[in-house]
Amino acid sequence: MKLIKKQIPLAIVFFFGVLTLASYYVPHKVSVDFMEMMNKWENIVSAFAFFLGLISLFYSHYHKISRKADGWGYSLFVYIGFFAMVVPAILCHGKLMGAAGQTALGWSFSFMYNPLSATMFAVLAFYIVSTAYRSFRIKSLQAFVLFMAAFLLILGKVPLGQIIWDSVLGWTGAGVDQVIEWIMGVPAVAGKRGIMIGIAIGAIVTSFKIIFGIERQYMGKD
Amino acid sequence: MLKEKLQKFFKIDRRWIFLLLAVVLFAPIIKPIGLPNKTISRDVQHAFDYIDKLPAGSFVLFSLDYDPATRPELHPQAVAMVRHAFKKNLRVGVVTYIAGSTGLIGQIFATVPAEYKKVNGSDYVIFPYMANAVAVMTQMASDFYGIYDKDQDGRDARTLPVMQGIKNYKNIAMIVSITGTSMLDYWVAYVGDKFSVPVVGGVTAISQPGYGPYLQTGQLKGLIGGMKGAAEYESLIKEPGKGTSGIDSLNLAHLLVLALILTSNIILLIIKYL
Repeated sequence: MKLIKKQIPLAIVFFFGVLTLASYYVPHKVSVDFMEMMNKWENIVSAFAFFLGLISLFYSHYHKISRKADGWGYSLFVYIGFFAMVVPAILCHGKLMGAAGQTALGWSFSFMYNPLSATMFAVLAFYIVSTAYRSFRIKSLQAFVLFMAAFLLILGKVPLGQIIWDSVLGWTGAGVDQVIEWIMGVPAVAGKRGIMIGIAIGAIVTSFKIIFGIERQYMGKD
Repeated sequence: MLKEKLQKFFKIDRRWIFLLLAVVLFAPIIKPIGLPNKTISRDVQHAFDYIDKLPAGSFVLFSLDYDPATRPELHPQAVAMVRHAFKKNLRVGVVTYIAGSTGLIGQIFATVPAEYKKVNGSDYVIFPYMANAVAVMTQMASDFYGIYDKDQDGRDARTLPVMQGIKNYKNIAMIVSITGTSMLDYWVAYVGDKFSVPVVGGVTAISQPGYGPYLQTGQLKGLIGGMKGAAEYESLIKEPGKGTSGIDSLNLAHLLVLALILTSNIILLIIKYL
């Protein structure tokens, strides 16, 4: 049992991990063909992962509804939303609907998914503005620096802000766009580059740990 | 007494702030102010120049990966860049790795090609949605048709006139990635760097500062950020669109945020030292 559940999966991960890594650096037809095959396999496995995710989603919401858990009514909309998109897509067979000049799926996308998704995101703007007023407190030097950077960026990102800058601080000779370019090009890039290098090193180390069987959490608890 | 009155400002019902923002956003849409877009940022200019210098007939691959949530910022960018490509008589290929993008891509290509008398299959081609972007990107390096053997309408991609001479990245003049996700990072890391394909990006304003390192090293040839970037690009191609018309609302909403932060902190200072 240990052989099937542990040693064989670890051997598969090691074998394909090392080969895939090596293929990246070997510009030979054999390695190119191998990568091509692996990519196709990856796509096939991804498609099954989608299906698995869908089953898992339905299963968890079914339980929520059957137990009448808090907010179970929202779970109903998971099913309604899913079938509202999928059923018309299957039934219409890609045919255009009369006056609308769209397929049934196209209609569902344009008049259901599109406005609903856009509304969800747009609502965020209202909460951000409300939070800006109620929570952005300049209580320390760090908060002040953060505020100044945000202030200049917001001001410089809109033409009206540029007009205000020019009329108030135009005498300095420095445009707000130059100030922004410095903020974005020096302190922001320095911070971002540090984060990127950190993430990259972390990803390399974790990958090696998985390939060599040190990190095994993906195999589950058994 | 004054202190208590000022403290009431912090307990204001947030629905008043919501209403104020709604007015600030809607008023310029109903009656545009027409504020001038004074500057063109360096990265937008670079993106424009790069496309503008491509010889007619070059194949440009557009990766349009955004859904309706980021549509207001990214759709005008995509429309402006597709218009520019058609104006320059470039061949256009479109791919996507976000399922929600397919409808938005359909909206662009339902109207824009007709303005320039471009034909599906001869001047542009739309490929179907694919999951697992990184695997697809890697696959296209050796054989484009290993992944995209058919276009969105089920036609054999190899036989389409627009795809003549295209086998892999060596035949692609440039990649344009417009995305609200991390897809642009993938194009840079897995394609741009490894296969020396120039990459130009279009992203939301909030994620724009994160691409500074790629721009400094030349891994990204240009970058359009948010609705302002779209408005700048529209002014460069002299085709005002949704980016330009949305700038008024953007102006006032940004300044409202600044005014609210300043007001609350001035009140806080007065309360503290009163």
